[in-house]
Amino acid sequence: MQSYSCVNKCTWCDGCGDYGIWTAVKRALTESGLAPWQVCLCFDVGCHGNGSDKLQGYRFHGLHGRVIPFAAGAKLANPKLPVIAFGGDGASFSEGIGHLVHGIRSDYPIVFVLHNNANYGLTLGQASALTWQGQKMNTAPNGIPEHTLPSMDFVFSLEPTFVARSFSGDIPQMTEIMKAALKHRGFAFVDILQACPTWNHFATHEYFLEHCYDVTTEGHDTSDFVKARAIAVDTSKRISTGILYQREDIPDFYEKLVPRQGKTTTPVEEVAITDVTAYMKKLL
Amino acid sequence: MPRTSIKITGAAGQGIDSIGEIVGKGLKRAGYCVFGYREYMSLIKGGHSSYQLDVSDRVIRSSETSIDILVALNHHGLELNIPELKRGGIIIHLTEGWKFPPEIQKIIDKRKLSIVYLPVENILASLKAKPILGNVLLTSVLFGILGRDRAGLKELVTEQFGHKKDLLELNMRCIDEGYKSKEKFAPTLTIPLPEPNPVFRSHMLLTGSKAMGLGAIHAGVRLYAGYPMTPSSPLLTYIADMQNETGMVIKQAEDEITAAQIVSGAMYMGTRALTATSGGGFDLMSETLSLNGIIENPAVFVLAQRPGPATGLPTWTAQADLLMAINTAHGEFARCVLSVSDAQDCFDLMPIAFNLAEVYQAVVIVLTDKHVAEALFTQEPFSQGKATLKRGKLVTDRKELAKLKPGDRYDPKAKDGISLRWLPGAQAATYCAQGDEHNADGTVDETAFNAKAQLEKRMKKMKALAKVMPQPELWIGNREQGTGNRVTVRLSKQDVSLDVLLVGWGSTKGAVLDAMEEMGKGSEGSKGRKGREKRIGYLHFTYLWPLRTERFAALAKRAKEVVFVEGNYQGQLAMLLKQECGANTDAKILKYDGRPFFVDELSSDLQKYLNQKPGTKNQ
Repeated sequence: MQSYSCVNKCTWCDGCGDYGIWTAVKRALTESGLAPWQVCLCFDVGCHGNGSDKLQGYRFHGLHGRVIPFAAGAKLANPKLPVIAFGGDGASFSEGIGHLVHGIRSDYPIVFVLHNNANYGLTLGQASALTWQGQKMNTAPNGIPEHTLPSMDFVFSLEPTFVARSFSGDIPQMTEIMKAALKHRGFAFVDILQACPTWNHFATHEYFLEHCYDVTTEGHDTSDFVKARAIAVDTSKRISTGILYQREDIPDFYEKLVPRQGKTTTPVEEVAITDVTAYMKKLL
Repeated sequence: MPRTSIKITGAAGQGIDSIGEIVGKGLKRAGYCVFGYREYMSLIKGGHSSYQLDVSDRVIRSSETSIDILVALNHHGLELNIPELKRGGIIIHLTEGWKFPPEIQKIIDKRKLSIVYLPVENILASLKAKPILGNVLLTSVLFGILGRDRAGLKELVTEQFGHKKDLLELNMRCIDEGYKSKEKFAPTLTIPLPEPNPVFRSHMLLTGSKAMGLGAIHAGVRLYAGYPMTPSSPLLTYIADMQNETGMVIKQAEDEITAAQIVSGAMYMGTRALTATSGGGFDLMSETLSLNGIIENPAVFVLAQRPGPATGLPTWTAQADLLMAINTAHGEFARCVLSVSDAQDCFDLMPIAFNLAEVYQAVVIVLTDKHVAEALFTQEPFSQGKATLKRGKLVTDRKELAKLKPGDRYDPKAKDGISLRWLPGAQAATYCAQGDEHNADGTVDETAFNAKAQLEKRMKKMKALAKVMPQPELWIGNREQGTGNRVTVRLSKQDVSLDVLLVGWGSTKGAVLDAMEEMGKGSEGSKGRKGREKRIGYLHFTYLWPLRTERFAALAKRAKEVVFVEGNYQGQLAMLLKQECGANTDAKILKYDGRPFFVDELSSDLQKYLNQKPGTKNQ
């Protein structure tokens, strides 16, 4: 884990869930045997994105809401390199929701870690699409009129191939989930419920400690889509965590590309001035 | 100028494109230079579309507004296009019992137009052929009128349907029937073409979009992401159609922002990736351009112009997004803007754009427009010896990689602001491609000192780019000896004194050069004649930003008149030149009705400037 450490000081609030996620990411990469030069880490904009310069690795810190297509483009250019995209609930379920939809639908072989603290933290605590209804938030002194977007139901409706959930206080579980996500064949959706002590006073670290349970302790079958969806969606009494759903029997986006069949090189390795004589002949 | 123009009109979906393509290809193979121009509306079926082929034994690069032959697949052509016919022109139509209204009949009589009604449905019925074969039948009649034999046509059709034996046989019978019909319904009608010029036989007939696709493949592009939008879609279509041969990764994205992000991610990873869109889509991409600016990611975006604002005229042409290309996206960052003008440029500029992007780690915008994207050019097969792969300060050597420090990536002291770049996955120190203002290794750094140093580092690249941008090219007319004083245009390395210096960019070039040749305007002046001939030249800007003004300034100083020719309302290149070097930009020929410049129309506009008496300049 030493190889991922960085001299820059963390700037997150005391008790921020980002510390735990950040630690789990470094641990998962290290335990996966990946050196910093062997990974590409793409960050969206938000508090988590401020972690882009707090660890090693080939990193990218882009625009609000747009991390998934950038990460997908990077991965398609060099499928040999593991790519993890990180994004918050604000970006991923509002401005960038289209990218999330098509990321899951396309089944790009990347890991997507959702920093889900149910609000826009960095812009000082506005309601996101995942903020619980009735919560007084910055710019919403009366709570927001919109109903909360049922994120897990939504994600499952997109026929994902990997859905996991954890919370920012459970570093060992996050580590295991991320390691599994890195090995997953297609798009791995990893929802991390994240404490935001400054703005989120409803789903707190303590709340997660009380409500989360590990599905492996109850013998959950990760291939059971209906059951997985049900326990993912219903968080009224307790919150299921762990790998909720996974299937690896379908080829991912890249594997499905007909022109790439049998190719051992990556698009990155193929850049060269290319002879087009044969193509010109067709136009004579 | 010997030029024959054929226009096929009809509703979208009636097959005008297939007739146009086969006639165009047939004539090109026979040894003619063909220039094809399509007009159509933003709908799938219906409307009024046209496909015009201008045909010559000399190089032509544009269309004219008048035509020799009209093939009207439905009655709308008879209602709308008769006034375009030249004296002695021919109308071929399929509308039984059509009566022309008196004002149209007047034109027909006055211009001595011939009208041929072809009972295509009956002929096809007698052959037991489906309506779609009417295209082959009509093509054969047209070939008969143009005095072409059927062998060449049969060869083309065999190429297309050779794998389907039944269909091929029926096609052959339609061709024979077409030639018979010509004899039956139009025995004496003919518009003979000049002697063919064998040089064109080995040329390609292709759209600017296909040329650009070939250029992209040639440049080493390995990933293409795009969202459909006319007139950028034909490029997406061509590259996608070629994927099984090229092995390229193709992604039809969910929107333009996605396409822009995907190619940016792919370029960051180190391949060559391309996207194209039109104005509205480009608006959506602009934030991503700005991102590439700060992370110094090489990126190439094709902006295929059509008239705006908003949805505007989706299937028509414009050159109105030059200022947008130069100014779009927030913040100040290094960018380079180029524009294609024809098929040759479409091919040549792709490797150049990627080299510039990689060498300067900058955003390169390549402008095209609907006219270039969809026009058919007769084009010599592209020479493939010119392009080289330039990847600038990309470090790939194992030993060199081992020496790198994270702070080398955005080192503000790097010469010309161009720092070392190395790719994710390279065994080396890592860095962050940081969208926030950052220091040398990509760490966020909001100090005043750093903000200034990094902005200056990035903008230094503009200065370096400005030094290598080629000057505009000067085209002058050359009077050929022994060819009836015919004028052909050529590039001039020397700056010459001109009466009229035309200035333009993009697809304007084709019509301007053709106009110079058709007007027979030389640039040397003719000695010994009474009254000196006005000398005319055309200065064409391919490299538009950063803008080199030296050559323009020198030529403008020596010219009696400077006239800007642009496909937009404001004269956007003129505005830029005024801004950059205080040019006098009062004289402009501007077009903003969605149509390209036509050679005859432009010639008459230019004539006004040539006829001008001294002292009435710029009116």
